[in-house]
Amino acid sequence: MRLPSLSLFLLLYFLLSSCDASSQHTNNWAVLVCSSRYWFNYRHMANALGMYRTVKRLGIPDSNIILMLADDAACNSRNKFAGSVYANPGRHLDLYGENIEVDYRGYEVTVENFLRLVGRLSSSVPRSKRLLTDSSSNIFIYLTGHGGNEFLKFQDNEEVSAHDIADAFHQMYEGGRYNEIFFMVDTCQANSMYSKFYSPGILATGSSVVGENSYSHENDYDIGVAVIDSYTHYVLEYMEKVNKTSRLTMADLFTSYDVPKIGSHPGVRSDLFERPLGPGNPNHPMSEYGRGRGWTVEGGGEWMGREIEAGKNGRVLRETLITDFFGGVVDVDVNNEDDAELRLFEDPECISTPKAPLSPSTNTYSSPPSSRSSSSLLDTLDTYPLLRPSLAFILLGALFVLVFSGMTSGRS
Amino acid sequence: MDGQGLRLQAFLRRFFRPAGDPNLARINRRRTMFSFIARRMTVLKLSLFIAGYVWIFSVPSSQLDRGVYFDENALQPGQVNTYWNWKEVHDADHFLGELEILRDSNATSEQRSQFIMSEFLRIGLPASTQNYEFTGLPKGLNGTNVYAILRSPRVSGAEATIISASWISRVNEGDGTLNLRGVATVLALSRFVKQYSLWARDIIFIIGDGYMEGMQAWLSAYHGVTQSNLRAQRLELTSGVVWTALNIDYPGHSLSHLGIFHEGLNGRLPNQDLLNSFQHISRRTGVPVVLYDHKDELDLGWLPDNIRNHPEIKTYAAQARNLWRHVRYQASGRGSGVHGLFHQYRIDAFTIFAVPAAGPHGFHSLGRIIESTLRTTNNLLERLHASFFFYLLTSYDRFVKIGNYLPSVILISVAMMFGGLQVWVDAAWMERRHDKHEEGSTGMVWIRRRRPVLEAVSIVLGTHILGAACFFVLSHKWYQSLPFTSPLLWVAAYILPLAVPRFFPQNITDNVAPLSLVLKAFNLCLSSTVISIISVLNFSLAACLAVALGIPLSVASSSSNGAMGMVRYTMYIVLGFGWLLLDETRKQMIWDWDILGVWLLPFLCVVYYPLSLQAALVCII
Repeated sequence: MRLPSLSLFLLLYFLLSSCDASSQHTNNWAVLVCSSRYWFNYRHMANALGMYRTVKRLGIPDSNIILMLADDAACNSRNKFAGSVYANPGRHLDLYGENIEVDYRGYEVTVENFLRLVGRLSSSVPRSKRLLTDSSSNIFIYLTGHGGNEFLKFQDNEEVSAHDIADAFHQMYEGGRYNEIFFMVDTCQANSMYSKFYSPGILATGSSVVGENSYSHENDYDIGVAVIDSYTHYVLEYMEKVNKTSRLTMADLFTSYDVPKIGSHPGVRSDLFERPLGPGNPNHPMSEYGRGRGWTVEGGGEWMGREIEAGKNGRVLRETLITDFFGGVVDVDVNNEDDAELRLFEDPECISTPKAPLSPSTNTYSSPPSSRSSSSLLDTLDTYPLLRPSLAFILLGALFVLVFSGMTSGRS
Repeated sequence: MDGQGLRLQAFLRRFFRPAGDPNLARINRRRTMFSFIARRMTVLKLSLFIAGYVWIFSVPSSQLDRGVYFDENALQPGQVNTYWNWKEVHDADHFLGELEILRDSNATSEQRSQFIMSEFLRIGLPASTQNYEFTGLPKGLNGTNVYAILRSPRVSGAEATIISASWISRVNEGDGTLNLRGVATVLALSRFVKQYSLWARDIIFIIGDGYMEGMQAWLSAYHGVTQSNLRAQRLELTSGVVWTALNIDYPGHSLSHLGIFHEGLNGRLPNQDLLNSFQHISRRTGVPVVLYDHKDELDLGWLPDNIRNHPEIKTYAAQARNLWRHVRYQASGRGSGVHGLFHQYRIDAFTIFAVPAAGPHGFHSLGRIIESTLRTTNNLLERLHASFFFYLLTSYDRFVKIGNYLPSVILISVAMMFGGLQVWVDAAWMERRHDKHEEGSTGMVWIRRRRPVLEAVSIVLGTHILGAACFFVLSHKWYQSLPFTSPLLWVAAYILPLAVPRFFPQNITDNVAPLSLVLKAFNLCLSSTVISIISVLNFSLAACLAVALGIPLSVASSSSNGAMGMVRYTMYIVLGFGWLLLDETRKQMIWDWDILGVWLLPFLCVVYYPLSLQAALVCII
């Protein structure tokens, strides 16, 4: 009695929900990299740990966070507060607290490991060290360390170039391993790091333009070193306003950049990104990004993709929420589930036919054998627009009859 | 490209690649160049000399130096809160009181060291003593060092930092003023730093007995170096590789400035980052820093007011004073204090000298500064290696880079080398009246003559062997115990070389060049080489050599007048060996060589004296 009613209800729910192409990610991942070692780079570890705390607070579980720390500042013998990492001079919040899972530590943080993590997967690596994403994963990638024009230094002896990262991302794209990527980087000349990307679905932001340093924010005079970088500090400060159901958009985050406070000119790149950064409101400060008070560098702030942004609003795509990348998926649209959810539990290398990640997926939430037939039925539904509401009406009536008859039979 | 450019290009091509055989053209070009230089050799030499001397004397000017800066990222100087406070000052005062009681009771160094060791042990640090004795000296030299090691709480002790104080202060190069407050500071500091667990390396506290000798004995034992005249006890406690050392010298009652003494043994200098960090920290803490103990302005009362008050002149005078002090410390090779001993083992060290004054600072400021400096050195991840090892500090916050001071001496050295080569070439040729009056020539021809190389080389070698013999006599242990040894040695060094002309009788012929010319050529080339080499090892010594030998050796020439020749001979011997008659200087040098292994005495005997002796011989051959 209950079972048919439930299945009917599910079918109905699916039919009534609108076909929203934008919110098609079903899982969130974060890759947080601190690439520099040594005690005086304490702040880079604090940067990465600050991001770690934020993404975890917003709902990404440890299993979906890859944290790479090139050094262990918490256990450095120079650390007056052993086992703790603080990102503010008052030492109010211990970022190294109780529940930290560092996936790559110390000398494991290499360019090779980073590129293997992002671009490829090897079954010989433990699952905790793998980025087990699929075509409906939204990935937040955060890099911090010492960098220069189109490179980021790892440890003290090697560099990853902007080309390497761009190629790795394209490899992911080809393999159907992401839906969207949000790439954030805090180093000197950080904006050069995303300049070489060419794969669709990547939104990027960096702390400083080419030829500009990224600065540390504050010192703690008991720890004896700078504890956090300026850009990351203000991003994290903004993030404190965001909760799991927040409707704040990326445009809001980007317009919060305050150049006099940060000390460098952050940049945005959205030309590869399909969705609009914010609500299509021409009065939103995002339209004036990089031109406001305090932007002193020639030409203002750097926003690659400013021109095409207006065109994005004309389409039916949803604006980009901060929680699309920084949080777990809280309101899953069941209709958009494809078998990716199931694939999560398989070895991703065994996926035989990866799909293009951006194609709209239309599968029911049912077992794989039946999905084929139902998808053909759905195709017919899509072809005849009136069929769907009429079918829904009939089903609704049937459900009503069922429930009503159940109630009457229960009474009698 | 415009027409002019093309023409220039064509000209250059014609000049460098003329028509005809390119090899022939090259040879011709080279010959033209050489003859161009050779014809103007005297002018060239003179201008090099003048440029060199002017450069040497303009090194103290503010045009050649620049401000200091940090080069090592890891140091992070002055970025910590310091917790040294009145309680620690009280500790230091307490230790000072105890030490004063010991001083007043005429305690032996054994008793002193036992007391200090017991204090270290009471603080909770493993401590030990080390007896040492220098043998073979007229006066016995022995004592007892005390040291304690704070093991790094959280890492293996593969590296160490030293905080030291010697029992005798560096006032007047160790005239016997006691460094009681320095020792008290080290004791209080050891108690203070033990509270913290953030030390990334072991900290060794040493109280060296005597002025320099105690630390020399301790360092030799620590690094396993044997010294034939030193009997030092093995160290019971050891640690890892020492990277940095701070030596604390606090002779007065209070202090007004902190002075930096940094010259090491045999001209070595510590990495500049260490000094820069210290002066930065000290000034942030509020204590002014000076170089050496130059806190008063130089008295220039003899100059007219308008010159004296000119800022450039004032700067020049102050910096020249600093540099002169530096040259004395560096050229003498004995360094400017106990810290200099560390440099032999590649430990960057300097002395924090509390310039005695009535106030306003004392243990409180000093402790804070040392604490902060210790935190900075604690931040080091590897040995100090960035920044500069070759520099001249003209002030505590200004320095001259090697590129701005080295050329001065090199120019003089090049001038001497050119002079030597010129003499060498001249010796091979002689202008003679043409025998046959054919072809209507001018009557003068250049003929080639043989150069007596072997004789000149044997004289050069002989002088150096004589110098080595002098050094052997000087460093022998009975030299100082017998009377009148120095005048006797001087007379010997004066008379013996006079026999040289008898061994090499001069038969003046047209076929053989005079020996004096060849000897002079060798002498100039050798001196030039020596100066160039020394200039990177010990710039001050090279500068002194350049000034002392540059012009004098170049003007040496044989004289036909025997008496005139003897006068010149005597002058060169006085220049080269006169230091032997200065009693204090000689004794100091012998002591430095015996105890500390300072190279100045052997250098003067084996290199410097023979060079001037060769010039002296040029005059009498």
